[in-house]
Amino acid sequence: MKDDRPLAVHLHFPCHSSLIILTMTQSTHVLVIDDEPQILRALKTILTERHFQVTTASRGEEGLTLAAAHPPDVIILDLSLPDMDGFEVCARLREWISVPIIVLSVRDHERDKVMALDKGADDYLTKPFGIEELLARIRVALRHAAQVQAQSKSTIIQANGLEINLAEHTVKRSGEEIKLTVTEFKLLAYLAAHADRVLTHQAILSHVWDPADADHVEYLRVYMRQLRKKLETDPDQPQFLITEPGVGYRFLADE
Amino acid sequence: MRRWPRSPLFNLIEYLLALLLVGLTTGVLHLFGGVLDAQIATVGYLLPVVASTLLWGLGPGIVSALAAFFAFNYYFIEPRFTLAVQRPQDLLVLAAFLAIAVLLSQLLGRTRAALSAAQQREHEALRLYDFSTALARQQTQQAIAQTVAQAALESFHADRVEVLVEASGDFPSTSVSLPPDRSSAPDRLPTMIAPLLTARGLQGEIRVWLDRETLTPAEDRLLKTFATQGALALERSQLARSAARAQVAEESDQLKTALLSSVSHELRTPLAAIKAAVTGLRSGAVDRQSFARDEMLATIEEETDQLNTLVGNLLDMSRIEAGVLKPQRAWNDLTEIVGAAVARLKQAARHHRLEIVIPDDLPLIPVDFVQIQQVFINLIGNSLKYSPEGTTARVEAKRRDPSAIAVRVINHGPSIPEEHLDRIFDKFYRVTAADRVTGTGLGLSICKGIIEAHGGRIWAENLADGLAFNFTLPLHVKDMPPLKNVKGDE
Repeated sequence: MKDDRPLAVHLHFPCHSSLIILTMTQSTHVLVIDDEPQILRALKTILTERHFQVTTASRGEEGLTLAAAHPPDVIILDLSLPDMDGFEVCARLREWISVPIIVLSVRDHERDKVMALDKGADDYLTKPFGIEELLARIRVALRHAAQVQAQSKSTIIQANGLEINLAEHTVKRSGEEIKLTVTEFKLLAYLAAHADRVLTHQAILSHVWDPADADHVEYLRVYMRQLRKKLETDPDQPQFLITEPGVGYRFLADE
Repeated sequence: MRRWPRSPLFNLIEYLLALLLVGLTTGVLHLFGGVLDAQIATVGYLLPVVASTLLWGLGPGIVSALAAFFAFNYYFIEPRFTLAVQRPQDLLVLAAFLAIAVLLSQLLGRTRAALSAAQQREHEALRLYDFSTALARQQTQQAIAQTVAQAALESFHADRVEVLVEASGDFPSTSVSLPPDRSSAPDRLPTMIAPLLTARGLQGEIRVWLDRETLTPAEDRLLKTFATQGALALERSQLARSAARAQVAEESDQLKTALLSSVSHELRTPLAAIKAAVTGLRSGAVDRQSFARDEMLATIEEETDQLNTLVGNLLDMSRIEAGVLKPQRAWNDLTEIVGAAVARLKQAARHHRLEIVIPDDLPLIPVDFVQIQQVFINLIGNSLKYSPEGTTARVEAKRRDPSAIAVRVINHGPSIPEEHLDRIFDKFYRVTAADRVTGTGLGLSICKGIIEAHGGRIWAENLADGLAFNFTLPLHVKDMPPLKNVKGDE
């Protein structure tokens, strides 16, 4: 994802935490596109209470117009809209805008999740949802967007007591190096670089292996198992290399 | 049996043969003429009469009797070689002979006719028996019409038979024509038409085309019987279908009632709790900072999740029922599936211990990740719900043989009476009263639906101190290419 909009503020603050504080204080603008008045009412109330600036749209076209007129910082999108499919809204938004899109839908089938992510959504949350969960997802999406904007591709990622050095291809836990194979390292690096975001099987396979191997989920299963054995305390009950059933994987970074 | 119309020539031959027999008898008797007297000849001449009657029927019999009378008179009554009679007692003998011969041939002729009629009737009865047996096997209108047409075609040696059944209610019309190769409509009117009459009125008809003018009375009777039996069979099949439909409707009604009563109970219980908590909070009866407030908020959240699970279960069940739950198979790691299921059960498992024993060398399995995860969530969830707090639930898996893996989910819950063990996988089936435990009675039947869609088997088993759910999953699946080497590091 590349964004051409100049956001000088972000460029000056490569550090994540201070950037988020800044975004929050500047009153982050959220656009909610959902046709359920109850959901709009609840989200508007709660998000406003949390100092977000909230705009709502109950139709797809309306949402697209609003997004163009007053570009938001994050978009919350329902899939079932009266005038057009949410996937289409997502695809059309992605033609010109790179702000995070979080899909919020009652559709809980994995096919829908994968499709939404493929169409450019950053995250997917099923209704009914907990508000804390939604706020967490918004935070992750904003942080990720800020990273991309700042192009702050740090060569060292630190999370879960691990220190992943992308330049040197090493992983250390409390200073001690953990031996990973080339593929294991590529897999870990890709997941960690997109921390807290769901990555679909296809995306991971295409990136770590080859686009031609995108359907070989079994490669991923085998390597994920190896990786968990080397990195997780209890590989059977992983704490940060998280399976998203039927969709993909998520690297959960501790805050 | 077909009775050929007798040709005159054929008749003539029979009569000539009768006469020939009399001639032969005369010759034989004449050879012994010296030693025989007229009385012996009387008896001798009865032989051709009897033989002719038995062989060719009454007509040739009578002719043979008359011929014998004249031959007897000519050759054996004095004066011989004339038809004149001198002695009065000879006249008496002749008269007696003629009477006996005619009487005898008539008696024999009648017996023969009766025998032939009896054979005919037996044949007819057999044919009818075969017909009704064949008819009884048929369930559809089409098959019944086919059977009737076949029987009529064979019985009457007809050129063509058509059986038409009219549409009635929602049963469509049917027509069968035999022989099938001459499908074009015949260019003449049918020779005979027999209506198919049932209690509901005219249902159709049998049309028969013959190469002759009409049917014999016996054949006509047979055709009417075909029509009656055919009509009865049609009525039976219609009634059977109506009954089957009524039964399906009734069963689906029962199912709906069961569903409604279960669902309304399960929906209302959490709704009642939520409503009570929310109104309690709004009324100001609860102190804003109190412990009660937190309790009520927790109730609302838990009950909302319960409702969400219920809706999910109902959706899954309807997918299974509609047959659209097709597994999206991929090669998956069972340990990972169980791990994902356990991650979802964190909240439910907080008062229990969970033990997972899966060998490290268990191969990848060709299953739908999400569906099998659902099976584990339901089975482990069920185990946690019914077993006492503080006990351990255990998941075991092993390779049972080269072609399947076996999985067990064991708990320390109460055992289930043997006769209920199979039924716990039925929809809405509960061992305990519905009021005592929450749930829809759908979880286990969803497991069964998923495992069977994967080609596996699921069953429950009582243990010494608990209950085990067992299931198998095949390792080789037709539509899945075998697992190849995993690409990656050398």
